[in-house]
Amino acid sequence: MSPSVAYGTDIDERTKAAEQSATDVLTAPDIPWNLVIWNDPVNLMSYVSFVFQSYFGYSESKAHKLMMEVHKKGRSIVAHGSKEQVEQHAVAMHGYGLWATVEKAASGNETPGKGGRQRG
Amino acid sequence: MAKAFKYGLKGISGYLEPAERDLLRGLLDDVISMLESDVRENEDPLAALIGLDMDVKQPGDRALLRLLPNVMKDDDGGSLEFRQLTERSVRESKIGALRAAALGLDKNELVLTPDDATRWSMALNDVRLVLAERLDIRDEADAEHIHSMQDWSQAEDVESYLALVYNFTTWLQESLVQAMMAARQAKS
Repeated sequence: MSPSVAYGTDIDERTKAAEQSATDVLTAPDIPWNLVIWNDPVNLMSYVSFVFQSYFGYSESKAHKLMMEVHKKGRSIVAHGSKEQVEQHAVAMHGYGLWATVEKAASGNETPGKGGRQRG
Repeated sequence: MAKAFKYGLKGISGYLEPAERDLLRGLLDDVISMLESDVRENEDPLAALIGLDMDVKQPGDRALLRLLPNVMKDDDGGSLEFRQLTERSVRESKIGALRAAALGLDKNELVLTPDDATRWSMALNDVRLVLAERLDIRDEADAEHIHSMQDWSQAEDVESYLALVYNFTTWLQESLVQAMMAARQAKS
């Protein structure tokens, strides 16, 4: 729902962006949980893609790519974060009727999508 | 006959005949009673207030288990702990969406706000998940087989009737999601 925000070019914003990415790098190893969506023969492809767009704020193409991965490979990691974060996503996915589980991220296993953004 | 949902000047709208609305209301009510069935009377009111449910168990019914799945693949203990903390709220949000959809079935023409549409899509999805369990849809081939039954003159037993009902709700949900996508695109 919320449009993506491009950082302005002024110095303050740049600094903020730099700090942001530095923090990401530092905390990345400490957030080793994945949200997995599993394939099932009932959920409509369009619906799954719509949920990825409207709940996570993913672009249409990213949502489509993740949905196709669920459909073809049987599962896809659609978000990652702390255990609490992915559990919160799982509650929301169960609300939508998607088959979601959480799991500890195994190193070098699959490349997770960029973490899901929380809706306000 | 029902008309597909579409996005237009009024927002998202659809049209259902009285018999179709009765059918849908019955399906929505069935899922509501499934989700309400286990609510216990003698429970700790404080725990209930904050949404905890320490007596919760993994559902024995497969359809209910599909609506409220385990959150961990190979950890029953972890999944149960998660249920104690969250299952009540998932049930309540599902029941809320199903009730809202059922209440909206009071006239032939449906005009949905974006929030209504989201609740409708969730409710229709839950109805389809339950019907699919009853129809034993386990894989894509089963789904194809059920999908091939489109002719109401084929409705000769409970299973073929359920299959036709399932296909009707699938068609309705697909048209709703397409209308919701069109609404999203119009906004951005």
